[in-house]
Amino acid sequence: MPEDELLEEILAELQEINSKLDRLLTGKKEMVFDPSKKGNIADSLDIITLLSLPDHLRTTATTLLEIGPATAEEVAELTSKERAVESSYLNQLVRMEHVNKYREGRKVYFQINER
Amino acid sequence: MTFALAVHSSKGGTGKTCIAVNLAGAYALEGKNVCLLDIDIRGPSLFSIFKPEALFWVNDMLSGKRGIKDTIHDVSEEFGTKGKFFIGCSNPDISEIREIVRKDRNWQSSALKNLISAKKELDKKNIDILIFDTSPGVEYESINAVAASDMVLIVHNSSIACNSCTEQIIGGIYTPLKKHCVIIDNMCHDNTLQPSEEKRFGIDVIARIPCMCDVATRNDEILTLTERDHIFSQNIYSIKDRIERHRL
Repeated sequence: MPEDELLEEILAELQEINSKLDRLLTGKKEMVFDPSKKGNIADSLDIITLLSLPDHLRTTATTLLEIGPATAEEVAELTSKERAVESSYLNQLVRMEHVNKYREGRKVYFQINER
Repeated sequence: MTFALAVHSSKGGTGKTCIAVNLAGAYALEGKNVCLLDIDIRGPSLFSIFKPEALFWVNDMLSGKRGIKDTIHDVSEEFGTKGKFFIGCSNPDISEIREIVRKDRNWQSSALKNLISAKKELDKKNIDILIFDTSPGVEYESINAVAASDMVLIVHNSSIACNSCTEQIIGGIYTPLKKHCVIIDNMCHDNTLQPSEEKRFGIDVIARIPCMCDVATRNDEILTLTERDHIFSQNIYSIKDRIERHRL
């Protein structure tokens, strides 16, 4: 198979995986955070929910919990990861509604959600 | 920076409070500024040892109604310690305990934030060592304290149940939270054939404290302050030194 075709196939597969992940996250969001349902689970990040996060997100969330509102760069300094990587993790946590973000001047800050 | 120790165990009755209180005493005696907090808010103990004239409790700090400074009491003079010795007690009133049991995950989430803020406040107050006396097993308050700590002292006894539960908690709580842990074997019976271990579940066993009746009968005093030559006190001083070596 020519290299270009192979790359295209990989790209298509990756997009498929991405959309599946998005559906999973959206599905989970509906399942967990639907406020219309009784017995709704909290949308602030408690320690037991934090423990159930995958390793990489847990490290990011724990760091944010310890230092309070911070930029992706500040989190990355503590976790020794690239800023772009932490930014992606933080945004995943935002999509999961565990973290919220806000802008102050030119900087974007992330903080653990509070109810 | 304030160094926080969570004294925790998988099962009840392993001697957490006794070790937490005496360790706090040992640190304060040495000249360290210490704060001991009763995080076992469903089964408070420290009020019965220290009998504080408290207006506010650890419960109020966790709820965010009061800051840590309103919650803690200076007992340095009473115990004649070289360093500052602060204690924060949980409210023993049953209606308060019932209130805690009703709290939901949102409350627990903000309690963790308040605990982390309290630690930062204590750092500004030049507290060197913060000790959390926790409730056994996987209770929200205990796991919050573990999350807010820098090291976990696992107080362990020789029962089979304690052994298997500890292994579970190491794998399911301490390791995912990347906590530095050490094990203290407490109430060891000399007549049982147990080999002395240096490591268990991959974690350093830093002490093996023998079972002594007078440690139980004299639980209204802090042996590390009242009888420094006692075998139990000697064990606690040694634990303190091992912890310091682990910190390096």
